Amino acid sequence: MTHIHLEAIEKSYGQTKVLNDCSLEVARGEVMTLLGPSGCGKTTLLRTLAGFVRQDHGRVVVGGVEISHLDPNRRSVGYVFQNYALFPHLSVADNVAYGLKVRRRPAGEIRERVAKALQLVALDGLGARYPAQLSGGQQQRVAIARVLVLEPEVLLLDEPFNALDAKLRLTMQIELRKLIDRVGITSIFVTHDQSEAMMLSDKVAVMRAGRIEQVAAPLEIYDRPVNDYVASFIGRANVLSVEVRDGVVASAPEVVTNRADGPARLIVRPENLAIAGADACWSGRILFASAQGPSIEYEVEAGLPEPLRLVVPRQAGEAALPAGSAVGVRIVDPGACIVIGGGSGV
Amino acid sequence: MHPVVRRVLHGGGFWPAFPAVAFLVVFLVLPMLTLLAFGFVTIERGRIVGDTFTLQHLHSALGDQLIWRLAWRSFYVAVISTVLALVLAYPVAYLFSQTGGIWRTLILIAVISPLLTSALVRTYAWLVILGGRRGLLNQTLLQLGLIDQPLRLLNTDWAVIIGMTQIHLPFMILPLLAVLSGRDRRLEEAARNLGAGRVRTFFTVVVPMSVPAIFAGLALVFAVSYTNFIVPQLLGGGSYSTLAVQVYEQTVVVLDWTRGAVLATILLTSCFVFVYLIVAGGSRLSRWSEIRT
Repeated sequence: MTHIHLEAIEKSYGQTKVLNDCSLEVARGEVMTLLGPSGCGKTTLLRTLAGFVRQDHGRVVVGGVEISHLDPNRRSVGYVFQNYALFPHLSVADNVAYGLKVRRRPAGEIRERVAKALQLVALDGLGARYPAQLSGGQQQRVAIARVLVLEPEVLLLDEPFNALDAKLRLTMQIELRKLIDRVGITSIFVTHDQSEAMMLSDKVAVMRAGRIEQVAAPLEIYDRPVNDYVASFIGRANVLSVEVRDGVVASAPEVVTNRADGPARLIVRPENLAIAGADACWSGRILFASAQGPSIEYEVEAGLPEPLRLVVPRQAGEAALPAGSAVGVRIVDPGACIVIGGGSGV
Repeated sequence: MHPVVRRVLHGGGFWPAFPAVAFLVVFLVLPMLTLLAFGFVTIERGRIVGDTFTLQHLHSALGDQLIWRLAWRSFYVAVISTVLALVLAYPVAYLFSQTGGIWRTLILIAVISPLLTSALVRTYAWLVILGGRRGLLNQTLLQLGLIDQPLRLLNTDWAVIIGMTQIHLPFMILPLLAVLSGRDRRLEEAARNLGAGRVRTFFTVVVPMSVPAIFAGLALVFAVSYTNFIVPQLLGGGSYSTLAVQVYEQTVVVLDWTRGAVLATILLTSCFVFVYLIVAGGSRLSRWSEIRT
């Protein structure tokens, strides 16, 4: 069931169109990630949903009710800011109580709900501290408790892990996903980190220059990207200019396609390429090799505009082939390759 | 060497500041202490009589009803003027923080340009505006038919308060302007997101965050209002006096340096106490800003 519906949202600042016909549906209880490079409009789209940005065109519908023109304080949409935006002059408990006080709840109820919310994020006992006395991870949890205590319909998080160091980030990502599942709240994340998107979300919306390019489950985006942009943004990909002739790719005949003859682009993941002998599609020379425990990475110069990238499983005791070796490269699973239209590939 | 002294001398910050510190010590602190010292010795025929340290002059000044009345007037005029300055300054500083481009520049010029004209000139300007039946203000109000009788403004507390407020306004606006334009707007968005309306957001987020600047402005404007003697003299009229005016008159007109010095001591000491109380009140209200992990 659709819970959040963004319909053809457009927003311009002067001459610059930051959101261009953005439509998105999020089901109840689903976790969606807006993924894209900085400046692609993902934060603006999130801010439109919260009401901090007013769209020029389009509608915002939450739970079947249009909220397009409501002020931010009239929307039941919890927003966790990138730097958490905790009130530095209020204690942790007062930060969490802020929204309840605005809603004029009785003091006893406020105390109870604040205590419950702090318990939910495992911060019980820290209510008297001030934000400056907390670690980054704790501050993030206060920010989450501060919106969850109001039981909003929707939870929005703007790059919530940016301010955390790498190690803590992973722990917090797992904790947050568990918390969201426990509460069962429809959530939208914004991130530029594809592994974060893969880990956290049920669905990913990949954005570029104010447009949503593809919305799908993370693995589907990885396996079936709609274009080379999505393919290179999620994971790594070799994007090759090829020629389709008689239903197969001319340079790699085992790749079958239903595309019409003519120029096309072939998208192959690095792990779908292998070092080969006689049955090679391409032959060339190793430019760079690096053994990394479970796998070996190669870059192979094969007379293409860009070197081919390979990630090959590594056996115990196996060393990488030395740079400069002449090798062949073949496709492991032709069925996992993607052929898309247009000739101007990389 | 005492560790504190060593840190001051070798901490890296002292020597660059030395010329300014030396200048202030030689041309401000020492002359001032000398002047204040006149209140605690006996002077005969322009010469200090040796070994005559006495608290008698201070004692008699503190026993004088008139001095207390003047001190009280200095105090309430300064308090009203300081509060008025805050009320007028805050919206200007807030407006500055909300606008951009050319408006920002214009507001800044409007705030700073009065500081480029002498306070004396601005006080005379108020004399023209407020002065008597022919004053600009009364003329205008009479012409507009808003009043039948000219208001008596000059030579009242209000003339002094109005003049002081305008002259000291930049000292209130500038610290507020700096803090308000540098504030984190996301805190306001967070408040809105949690359900607070614009007004509530302003009073629960913007104002508390600016408390340090508010109190810096209050301390600054109070100090200069409390000790100002030009404005009360000119706008208060001949028979109007405050503690600061008395210091001036005793020292320059009556040439009773002893009396002048004693009154200056009282003025300066009480001013320090009030400023200290304001600053202490401010840091009590903004204790959160000093919290570090």
